[in-house]
Amino acid sequence: MKDFEYFAPKTVEESLSLLSQYKEESKIIAGGQSMLVIMRQGLLAPEYVVDIKGITALDYMTYNEKEGLRIGALTTHRTIEKSPIIQKHFRVLSEMERNLATIQTRNWGTIGGNLCHGDPAGDPAPVLIALDAKLKLKSLSGERIIAMGEFSKDILEVDLEPDEMLIEIQVPTPKPYTGSAHEKLMVLQGDAGIVGAAVSITLKPGDGVCEDARIVISNAASVPLRVREAEKRLIGKVINYQSLAEASEVASAEADAPSDIHASAEYRSEMVKVFVRRASATALERAKIG
Amino acid sequence: MKGEPKELRFTVNGKLYELKVRPKALLNDVLRKDLKLTGTKRGCLESTCGVCTVILDGKAVRSCSILALQANSHEVTTIEGLAQGDKLHPIQEAFINHGAIECGFCVPGRVMVAKALLDENPNPTREEIKLAMQGVLCADSGYVKFIEAIEIAAEKMRGGE
Amino acid sequence: MTEKEQKISGGGVIFREEQYLNKYSIIGKPMPRVDAKVKVTGEAKYAADIELPGMLWGKIARSPYPHARILHIDTSKAENLPGVEAVITGKDFGDFRWGWLGTTRDEEPLAVTKVRYMYEGVAAVAAIDEDTAEEACDLIEVEYEPLPGVFDPFEAMKEGAPLVHEDYPGNICSEYHWHFGDVEKAFAESYLVREDTFKTPRMAKGYIEPPAIVAEWPDSGRLTVWAAKGSPYFPYRILAKCFNLPLNRVRIIQPFIGADFGGTKNDMVSCDFAAVLLAKKTGRPVKIVYTQFEELTTCLRRHPFWITIKTGVTRDGRLKAIHTKVVSDGGAYTRMSPLTLYLSGVCTTLPYELPNYKADAYCIFTNNPSSAAMRGHGVYHTRFAADVQMDMIAEELDIDPVEIRLKNAVENPPPGKIYYTINKLTVATCGIKECIEKAAEAINWKERKRKEKIEGSIARGVGIGAGTFLSGARLSGHNACSAIVRVCEDGTVNLLTGASDVGQGSDTVMCAMVAEVLGLEIGDVDIKRVDTAHTPVDPGSYGSRVTVFAGDATKRAAEDTKRQLLEVAAKEFGVAPEEMDIKGKKAFVKADPSKSMPWWSLVRLACYTTPGNVIIGKGVSTKGIGPLSNWKTGVGDVGINYSFTAQVNEVEVDLETGAVKCTDNSIIAHDCGIPLNPMIVEIQVQGGAYCQGIAAALYEEFKMDKGLTLNPNLVDYKRARAYEAPMTKVIHVITDDPFGPFGAKECSEGSCVSAPPAIINAIHDATGIWIKEIPATPEKVWRALKEKEKIR
Repeated sequence: MKDFEYFAPKTVEESLSLLSQYKEESKIIAGGQSMLVIMRQGLLAPEYVVDIKGITALDYMTYNEKEGLRIGALTTHRTIEKSPIIQKHFRVLSEMERNLATIQTRNWGTIGGNLCHGDPAGDPAPVLIALDAKLKLKSLSGERIIAMGEFSKDILEVDLEPDEMLIEIQVPTPKPYTGSAHEKLMVLQGDAGIVGAAVSITLKPGDGVCEDARIVISNAASVPLRVREAEKRLIGKVINYQSLAEASEVASAEADAPSDIHASAEYRSEMVKVFVRRASATALERAKIG
Repeated sequence: MKGEPKELRFTVNGKLYELKVRPKALLNDVLRKDLKLTGTKRGCLESTCGVCTVILDGKAVRSCSILALQANSHEVTTIEGLAQGDKLHPIQEAFINHGAIECGFCVPGRVMVAKALLDENPNPTREEIKLAMQGVLCADSGYVKFIEAIEIAAEKMRGGE
Repeated sequence: MTEKEQKISGGGVIFREEQYLNKYSIIGKPMPRVDAKVKVTGEAKYAADIELPGMLWGKIARSPYPHARILHIDTSKAENLPGVEAVITGKDFGDFRWGWLGTTRDEEPLAVTKVRYMYEGVAAVAAIDEDTAEEACDLIEVEYEPLPGVFDPFEAMKEGAPLVHEDYPGNICSEYHWHFGDVEKAFAESYLVREDTFKTPRMAKGYIEPPAIVAEWPDSGRLTVWAAKGSPYFPYRILAKCFNLPLNRVRIIQPFIGADFGGTKNDMVSCDFAAVLLAKKTGRPVKIVYTQFEELTTCLRRHPFWITIKTGVTRDGRLKAIHTKVVSDGGAYTRMSPLTLYLSGVCTTLPYELPNYKADAYCIFTNNPSSAAMRGHGVYHTRFAADVQMDMIAEELDIDPVEIRLKNAVENPPPGKIYYTINKLTVATCGIKECIEKAAEAINWKERKRKEKIEGSIARGVGIGAGTFLSGARLSGHNACSAIVRVCEDGTVNLLTGASDVGQGSDTVMCAMVAEVLGLEIGDVDIKRVDTAHTPVDPGSYGSRVTVFAGDATKRAAEDTKRQLLEVAAKEFGVAPEEMDIKGKKAFVKADPSKSMPWWSLVRLACYTTPGNVIIGKGVSTKGIGPLSNWKTGVGDVGINYSFTAQVNEVEVDLETGAVKCTDNSIIAHDCGIPLNPMIVEIQVQGGAYCQGIAAALYEEFKMDKGLTLNPNLVDYKRARAYEAPMTKVIHVITDDPFGPFGAKECSEGSCVSAPPAIINAIHDATGIWIKEIPATPEKVWRALKEKEKIR
């Protein structure tokens, strides 16, 4: 690993000043669980490293019904996994975290670090997109809120200016009769999924017609992929096995999954079908309960 | 200045250390080279094998994936900090008595993961133990005796005999 | 394990035979390892933990081409980098070449004129720290002339294919053609003949500790090396030759070692030679520790094998003939490929009776990293093919898989009798029938067909695999082995043997043997880590030979010690030494045990009677010596005795994704003669089955593209992990072999052989598909299911 200059700011303002000063030459490190690996491989060699892990002000979780869930960017995966609030109101997040890598990684790695890394095989992003989450980004010049679905731009590339920091993840309180689920194809527990699907379904109270469906696929494209055509096959209907099957077929076609050393395009496409169907079925069951 | 050593002040196994380290130094390097605590092993250096695991503020973490400076003001426990003189920790005893140890290379990291688990959750299910063990690779044992030994240690720590 | 422990643990053990638990005082009893404490406290030092004053770090500079001529190397920029103390290239080793056999010295410490696999070492640097050494390696400028390469053995065998070595036409590294009986006649007489082709994967050795070495060579002509080696005696000989040193001045000290599994650490790697030469050049100690990337891209792998097996059977499923054609990819250098190839054929005649056998085997050079030994060496490939095919045959004939195995199983010879296979393997004990019966009973095999197989999208199946492995490999080269037992004046005992405990527990077993013979407690015996300056030469920890050979030597050394002491005791009591014995730390007259003296008194007496007597016992095992088997014809014993294993596993197959999971219904019945330490046998059997066996059946495979390893990390190269591990139960089958010390046979490799067929047969039971190319990845299973239209 190459030498770098190191700062350990204690406040958000301090970090933002540093980012503003060094811009492209600097890189934030939080948990470093993804970053240190590529730094050791020589693929990343920033001149200035801004270590924000010590900014305790960004390690928090709050929830109220009106504002929904607010997660500070430096909240660890493990905190999210174990949080009683999350397990009660946003169960899918806890389930997703339980399957993310291993305990050691989750103990130190942060949700913010994971999202900013922008791995298309990552699990949090698709789930947060399905939950219609928003991100609060901040720089010295101000704040902006963007939809989670707009954040990823390409493989390992996110909509974050060199002088910006991710501050908070905002997840709205789900409407009544909303269910969410996340499933991924793992060879080994904790693997990045060969494919993954995060689904959120909202039903109209009374007639059970699907009011909203959000289906997001991981590791089938360069970014987490929202398959809107597939969603349209569910919205406005009373969902049954037939509509689930149809939606998964459309999702697979929409995804046009590529091949890599872990799976051929053909197999991956088929697995998109399977996991969209499975995650949708679970989301539907949960939505029915209310 | 690039690479200029910075102050690191942290507790390891109950002892306070103050030293200067280069920013790029990993916690694993500092423990093994500077503090001579070679019980924590160096394995893949890529966050996959887990033999470098230590406990930081009560949580099991990979020391190869943490900059040493990130441990500033924190408390680290390594394998050397477990036994109290001649008195071994119940997990260590169980590993010995249950025949769970082979080449031993993954043992320090594994013991630390097990300790963090049992400190947080004194009555884990077998599945929870397996999930915890997922982060430390072993090439020889098949994991069965490790899992059983942790169950034995957990029972002992809960007051059973 | 206490009764309480057994209850809590859910039973990792089903059956420990009582009579053998109590036949001896220490042997046969489950006992913690003698080195467990230092390992569990972090005290145990491995090679990478060694630090010496003034130590430098070394790194190897590597070729980016899989096949290229080296035209020119310019090390000047590297030499001028501040912090660099020395730079060396292949030329600095003269024209030294080495190889595993005397006739196959085809490898250079660092490549001189040609590189033959991607990332082969061409230069090395010693610097003040690792990062500087790595930076310096990047500054070494090498001019290459890339050459066309071969990456597939079948392509490499073709006429006109580029040659990896100019003097090996057809890229043939090794070939054998054996014929016993008359297979064509037997096929003609068979009721059913089938031919199937199987493939086993290219696998990483798998140890978690990367190769590491610290070399020190100040000025006195004495070289000292600490290295993670499965046996220090290979490097000791090879380094002596390379650097023109007498053997008595080459000291290899073995720290604790993070497992070996038979290759790389039991052989040489570039860092060994480089560290030594850099130490000589700089006059300072040099440490080199491989990264995981280097380990996964350059270190020895298990050969991938293509196995075509043709088998003829009678109407009721009895084997009449087997003809195997195997091709393996040996990679760039010979290493121990001839041995691997030989082993891939020698045990095809076990564990079932086989009257006719033909084997055509080829190992081919390619421009891939070299292949070499690995736990389950050679035997597992062909036994995998044969044991899966046996299930195929059973299905065609409508015979139960357990039944067909029992029909063919070699019977356990009665005491004093020997079973000879057609290729003259000498089998004095064979517990395979009992293993199969007990494993089948324990998993409730009969209920298998009656249970509902499919639940939702999950199909469940149970499969059986049976195998054998040689114990006490007898190979060419120095095979004798010895031990020294020294009794200190206070009655404590030192044991010196050159046998390496690489994690398999041999130190514990050796101490147990000494304690057993001398009537002591195991804690009274201390064993030293191997150190070529002090310990006697040993062939090394491979071929499952340590318990059998070093154990034999150790037992003899202890007996020699006992003799010397009993001579003294006998004089005291006025009897002949044969009339006395030592048990429970007391020497006593057998006919009248009240005539006794405590051990420590006897020792003091022996040491101080005449002014200063030193009690040292010596034992030499010559089990390894004697007519060796003939690799060309395939005739003769490769081992002292043979272990047998039967394994049953249940799997769950996700019919939609093809993902296969093992359930906890996993039983292994293992015949190792007598388990010298049941606790060690159990973990060895469980581990071999999962970490090497099931790993090959379900997870592990290097993916290559023209010599480039596509998955050189432990995320993309899947390893068998804890969550997926079945909680395998072990059944000890006792046969008490006359050729092993205390009746023992090997216990670390047999289950590597029995596991893969058990899994593949279980997948078939669940789904009706046959996966002939392992690992059975989800995609492979899915495709096979699609073909069979089992996909929902």
